[in-house]
Amino acid sequence: EFRFGPCRVENVILLELWEAFRAVKDSVQTQDNITSVRLLKPEVLHDVSDAESCYLVHSLLKFYLNTVFKNYHNKRVEFKILKSISTLANNFIVITSKLRPCVKNDMLSIYKSAHRRFLLFKRAFKQLDTEAALTKAFGEVDILLTWMEKFYHY
Amino acid sequence: PDGVVVLPAPQNLSIQSANMKHLLTWSPVIMPGETVFYSVEYQGEYESLYTSHIWIPSSWCSPTKGPECDVTDDITATVPYNLRVRATLGSQTSAWSTLEHPFNRNSTVLTPPRMEVTKDGLHLVIELEDLGPHFEFLVVYWREEPGAKEHVKVMTGGLPVHLETMEPGAMYCVKAEALVKAIGKHSAFNQAECVEVQGESLPL
Repeated sequence: EFRFGPCRVENVILLELWEAFRAVKDSVQTQDNITSVRLLKPEVLHDVSDAESCYLVHSLLKFYLNTVFKNYHNKRVEFKILKSISTLANNFIVITSKLRPCVKNDMLSIYKSAHRRFLLFKRAFKQLDTEAALTKAFGEVDILLTWMEKFYHY
Repeated sequence: PDGVVVLPAPQNLSIQSANMKHLLTWSPVIMPGETVFYSVEYQGEYESLYTSHIWIPSSWCSPTKGPECDVTDDITATVPYNLRVRATLGSQTSAWSTLEHPFNRNSTVLTPPRMEVTKDGLHLVIELEDLGPHFEFLVVYWREEPGAKEHVKVMTGGLPVHLETMEPGAMYCVKAEALVKAIGKHSAFNQAECVEVQGESLPL
């Protein structure tokens, strides 16, 4: 199960997510020509406290659902990418539906810290041309899964 | 139109799921002397919420001849999935038929696992059936005696596993249940099996 600080998520098999992404990793990452830019840069994911992690993963996964995967469909995508997105997106829905980030006042500073990290990612995304940003964000799912794996208990 | 036979859509779609294997079936479309093919597509909760126009061709059944489709490899999250089928005959395609209720893999039926309990000399050995990557097994074993203490082990299937080194003259019993973390469920325990090692039991 995932344990993002106080947030617990069961019924998601991380291996299924990895398998779905690895099936398309090469074909997606070779389409990313802007190698000098990274959206999920160290300042976004390094040294995230347990308390921050629930807020941050919620924001990131919602962004992938609402923006990255949703708009990726507008591109002419091959069948195996459709399948990969479906597995990732449907499992991201399971995760986000079970995350209950705490909204108490004493958590405000932690929330703000997580939100600053998310805004770093979002700003970097918005600075790129939409097509390039979608490709790069999808190509960085391995960075996202690697970070999420730190909170996964086998 | 005059004389043109409209290809009917497949009827009676239903899904049977046991041990995380999901089989979609439907009534065949009968066109005498012709071979009708079928195409199956699916849509998870994400697609139906965010991109409802998107349907994904099934891995193994786009197209297929038989009136059934193993959709196990398509159902890769514990969310409701819509499934639909249409018939194809030459250039003709029927309307889509959609499964009446979305399918969620957490409704799969988990059966008590088949197991083989053997002894290899003094070694108590168990082998459980290999039901695929989603499955682990909770194995409970004990020495048959008053006040017996139960031991528990979690393992995967498909390979013989050494449970215990037995004492001559004692009887040991084993039972197991299947665990599926992806849906947070387990089967019932199977029937316990016991084995006995011949010879004098050692004095206490």
